[in-house]
Amino acid sequence: MNKIMYLEFERCIGCRSCQAACRECGGHDAKERNYVEYVDFFESRQTYPMLCMQCKDPACARVCPANAIQITEDGVVLSAMEEKCIGCRNCTFGCPFGIPKFDFEENKMYKCDMCYDRTQHDIAPMCASVCPSDAIRFIDFDEMQALRRRRTQMNLIEGKKPTEQDKWQYVPEFFGVYSD
Amino acid sequence: MNNLERAYSTSNVETVEDTKFNIKSFEKSFYSKTSMYAFFATIFLVFTMWIGTGQFAKIDLMLAGYMIASFVFVIGLIVRVAAWLVRPATKQLVKTSIQNLKSGNRSKRNVKSIVITLIENIFLQKFIFKRGIYRGIQHWLIAWGCIGSFAFTFGLVFGWVHFRLIDATTYQIMVFNIPMISMHANGFFAAIMYNILNITALMVLVGVIMALVRRLHNNDLKVTERAEFDVLPLYILLAVTVTGLFLTVSYKFLGGFIHPELALIHQITVVLFLIYFPFGKLFHLPIRPLAIGVPMNYQEEHMVDTRSCKKCGTKYSSDDQISDVKAILHEQQFDLQLEDGSYLADYCPSCRRRIRAMSQLNLGSVKGNPYGPVQTNNGIHIPGFGRKRSDEFYNKEEK
Amino acid sequence: MTQFLAKEGVKNLHREGEKLITTHCCYCGMQCGMHIRLNEKTGKVVGVEPRYDWPVTLGKMCPKGVTAYQTVDHEERITTPLIKKNGQFVKASWDEALDLIEKNFKELQSKHGKDALSVYGGVSMTNEKCYLVGKYARVGLGTRFVDYNGRFCMSSAAGGFMKTLGTDRGSTLPWTELEHTDCFFISGWNAAECLPTSIQWLWKARDKGAKMIVADPRETQIARLADVHLDLKSGTDSALANGMLHIIIRDGYVDEEYVNERCNNYDELKELVKTFTPEYTSQLTGVSVEKIEKAATIYGKSPRSVVMFCRGIEQQRKGVDNVCTYTSMALLRGQIGKFASGVSTVTGQGNGQGGREHGQKADALPGYRKIADPEHVKYVAGVWGIQPEEMPKAGVSAFEMFDEIQNGNIRAMHVMCSNPAVSAPNTEYVWDSFRKLDFMVVSDFFMSETAEFADVILPATTWAEDEGTTTNLEGRVIRIRKVKDPIGESKTDWEIMKAIAERMGKGSFFPYENVPQIWEEFRLASKGGKADYYGITYDRIDKEDGVFWPCPSEDHPGTPTMFKEKFDTPNGKANLATVAWQEPAEVPSANYPHTLTTGRVVFHYLSGTQTRRVKFLMEQCPLPYAELHPELASQYNLVNGDKIKLTTPRSSMVLDVRLTKAIRNDHVFVPYHWGKELSVNQLTNPALDPTSRMPEIKVCAVKIEKA
Repeated sequence: MNKIMYLEFERCIGCRSCQAACRECGGHDAKERNYVEYVDFFESRQTYPMLCMQCKDPACARVCPANAIQITEDGVVLSAMEEKCIGCRNCTFGCPFGIPKFDFEENKMYKCDMCYDRTQHDIAPMCASVCPSDAIRFIDFDEMQALRRRRTQMNLIEGKKPTEQDKWQYVPEFFGVYSD
Repeated sequence: MNNLERAYSTSNVETVEDTKFNIKSFEKSFYSKTSMYAFFATIFLVFTMWIGTGQFAKIDLMLAGYMIASFVFVIGLIVRVAAWLVRPATKQLVKTSIQNLKSGNRSKRNVKSIVITLIENIFLQKFIFKRGIYRGIQHWLIAWGCIGSFAFTFGLVFGWVHFRLIDATTYQIMVFNIPMISMHANGFFAAIMYNILNITALMVLVGVIMALVRRLHNNDLKVTERAEFDVLPLYILLAVTVTGLFLTVSYKFLGGFIHPELALIHQITVVLFLIYFPFGKLFHLPIRPLAIGVPMNYQEEHMVDTRSCKKCGTKYSSDDQISDVKAILHEQQFDLQLEDGSYLADYCPSCRRRIRAMSQLNLGSVKGNPYGPVQTNNGIHIPGFGRKRSDEFYNKEEK
Repeated sequence: MTQFLAKEGVKNLHREGEKLITTHCCYCGMQCGMHIRLNEKTGKVVGVEPRYDWPVTLGKMCPKGVTAYQTVDHEERITTPLIKKNGQFVKASWDEALDLIEKNFKELQSKHGKDALSVYGGVSMTNEKCYLVGKYARVGLGTRFVDYNGRFCMSSAAGGFMKTLGTDRGSTLPWTELEHTDCFFISGWNAAECLPTSIQWLWKARDKGAKMIVADPRETQIARLADVHLDLKSGTDSALANGMLHIIIRDGYVDEEYVNERCNNYDELKELVKTFTPEYTSQLTGVSVEKIEKAATIYGKSPRSVVMFCRGIEQQRKGVDNVCTYTSMALLRGQIGKFASGVSTVTGQGNGQGGREHGQKADALPGYRKIADPEHVKYVAGVWGIQPEEMPKAGVSAFEMFDEIQNGNIRAMHVMCSNPAVSAPNTEYVWDSFRKLDFMVVSDFFMSETAEFADVILPATTWAEDEGTTTNLEGRVIRIRKVKDPIGESKTDWEIMKAIAERMGKGSFFPYENVPQIWEEFRLASKGGKADYYGITYDRIDKEDGVFWPCPSEDHPGTPTMFKEKFDTPNGKANLATVAWQEPAEVPSANYPHTLTTGRVVFHYLSGTQTRRVKFLMEQCPLPYAELHPELASQYNLVNGDKIKLTTPRSSMVLDVRLTKAIRNDHVFVPYHWGKELSVNQLTNPALDPTSRMPEIKVCAVKIEKA
């Protein structure tokens, strides 16, 4: 798989299609695995979508005592294997992005698997397919690089030059689910 | 006095180091820690056999194949468990569990955790029934069918258990060569004992067929299914139970029709099963008891969180768990510390998502005050759009 | 069942044992393309698959669209006719139900005259059905009282476009061109929540550098990202538009050549807007002078621009005037009839465009013909096979039908595909009217709030159980495909109308065996009208990804861009609007000091009959709420989650409070998708627009109390 998931929060309109669509994915058991949240509804209607970054070295897998979180050859970090998971929830606390969800009743951790049934055939995941604002995109690695460069440039055009101290604010963090 | 004390303590330390050193050097006479454990386990098995069989007097040579496979099985298990315990996350959980088990003031919680986990989680497997009654029944049958077969087979193979004929109508069960219950040879209890493997085999058979049917019919499952991982063990179990049951059918109803051949085939399937066991999906059985550690270490009360999120105050975990998670992450060089010295694990998942999004949106909180109000308009709000036409284009003076 | 499956060569996930059936969403006018997943063995609808190849939406869907399929095999579907006996609905056979309808309809007509019956239609149906509603009422029942829920939806835009441009086609340009425009001027359109999949075109244009000006009392998702957010008071649109026209003329942004050649009334307009200085406009609208200037400059200087508006400006008693003035903005800039520019309203209902063209309206006949025009009547009567004299006269608009009920003129009503018990303003009056009816028939597939008033409920089908065409908000005629056979004993709306017409002795006028037969007759009926569908065939729609009307012959390519050469007015020139300032019917007063406005949320569709039965959508938004600014809230000592009592001269209701700074500090917003005591339309004002008969749902004065 040479495609990545690319998120751009500003474009999000908070419609939660991605969540509805996530429930439609094969094997998701009608529970969504992604998030759409308000930054602060009191202040504005800015929302953001959030889904698993499919880290190359996932903290969730590293903190799992049962070694239940596996990574596929394509680099997709899967939900904890049901038979191994002992239900400690370490993964939900280890993940820097707060992604894994845990169902106490069923003793089951579930998280975004990038619609494995679709992406393995190179078809966009449901969330990226339906996102009406292109806040979630399923694009080529090169396209993602171009988009990131453009974002950085945009900041410069807006007249805010980065300094040594806040350079990180201008060069967007790596933000995609990718594997090569 | 002081000197004496110091001398005492020093010597004490030395002795400790001495023993440690001794263990270390002893360990070095093995290829690895794992092989050491494997060696001792083998010795232990042979020893128990020696006791159980009355100094190898009652060894059943018909079962030799099983015996060898069992040794492979045990060594494999040890290798796997050891490899697994080396992982920092596992080590941490086991370490904390042992500490807590030792600590006296937690004994009540420990016992409660163990009893509840054993009953609800391991014996009744409630959580699988929650995923669906069908799945629950299916798994329970396979699990207890397998465990029952295991217990009985290993008992017989290693001679931990055997039957002694006391008189014409009474059998006695001998556990480790110690006489236990006696029973009437034609009684109901005896019938169960004779047929125990048939009963467990039937349980497994039903469970396995249910599982295979489910895997055939549910398209959603195929998404993440791996044939060698998810389906192979089912076929192996199927082979073992079917051949085993055929054995019974053969000598009970068909007068021993091709019994020796069947016995051989059965033995082969069981050997395959035992060799496969430590390395495939079925390995989750021996590690399951670790689930005891969850309520014991992390949840005073089941499903009740006690630790508050540093930002929003929502209860999301317990102090013990977060410190364990931090320790595990630290050991693996994960730097998840924020500018203000707090760690990402100090925040609830929802706040962690927000922190992530806000730093990406350049909407970080007020400088120097991580708990300050959220800024949603800070002047460097980057629109996520490709190009922005500069306002000069529309500047009135240009007209 | 259907021949057309997913297009070849498009990457879609094809699952074993399932069929993908290509169709469109049942909800809003965007008519997003989608595939419905059908289990071949059980014949049940099991899910949805994006339709990446549909050019207007490219596979995108909103949460309503994603979950739309769940209503098809829904457990609450009405599957048999129901007859009310002693206040309880009892299952009945079709014969029993039709017998009862026949008896009552005939009795009432013989006692009170032909016009004692009435038909209340809707436009979430296919063109074929919408066309048939008009024929069913006028030929099948022989009554003049027929109208439809588009009166609360599209009719102001229709009226305004008719007046200025001569023909009402919602969008003068195809939406796929939107990404090439330079400037959007959007008013009263909460695009992100009402038509989420349109956002992709706005955002694509912004990626290319387009500017966006949004006029809305709330800082909606699109207003948040706009270059200028004109936070006007509800009901001051005509003032804002006149103010914009003032600056456009003052600063010389007018395309003089275009205006001279193609527009009437330019001098009158100039004269009228003279008074609308930025200061005066600011005073009326509550928008700062600086913002008005900036918006007008951006709009005036943009080489290509699109003016878009929606219910926010239309659901007012001067809705038509608002549409006219905003349209005049596009005309002064010479934008209509050109590439990537023009003017567009946004149809809220699935077939809001097609449904209003074909004679469901009280005064209209198929193809935008007028019942007042004897030539038009003669043509349509010819197609229908009746004498022109038999054609009933024009009826009254939807809300006025309730007055007719109160006056005792209308004694029975057949409601189809509509839920006025929730969607009409001043609902308590509407409920009372329903109770006054001698006999009421409702065709629906769920027990809607309106259906509860009925004497007989006829089980209709969902969109997935019938085929046909709809016209999306661009004016593109597209195909809806039959996914599966109707469940239970339910029948399609056309079968129901046919059955009742047969009972009324008019069966010979409804000889249809299938939908294509209706389509053929309908093409003929629209032939030569303004909305001419004659050249559109099912095959062409499949082949060409939809065909834009007008399309007068089969070799005509259709008309994606309207008014390229001339307008459809008598002299071929557009009529610029000359609209003097008029206040909303209700302005804040000492007793009712604030303004109440209503709207949609992204999770629900219209009266919510369908979406309130979908689990995901209800989880996201189970109840209506009152959105207000913390500044306003603090005057009443309200915090988030408090209960608030809203009172207008009509009624009052209690709601939860949601505070946000993203709304004007003198407005309260309440979404309208709920029925009965949760319906905000208990409070709204039924003051009607003189032309379009559109009630002023968007503005009324309100009193706030802590409850």
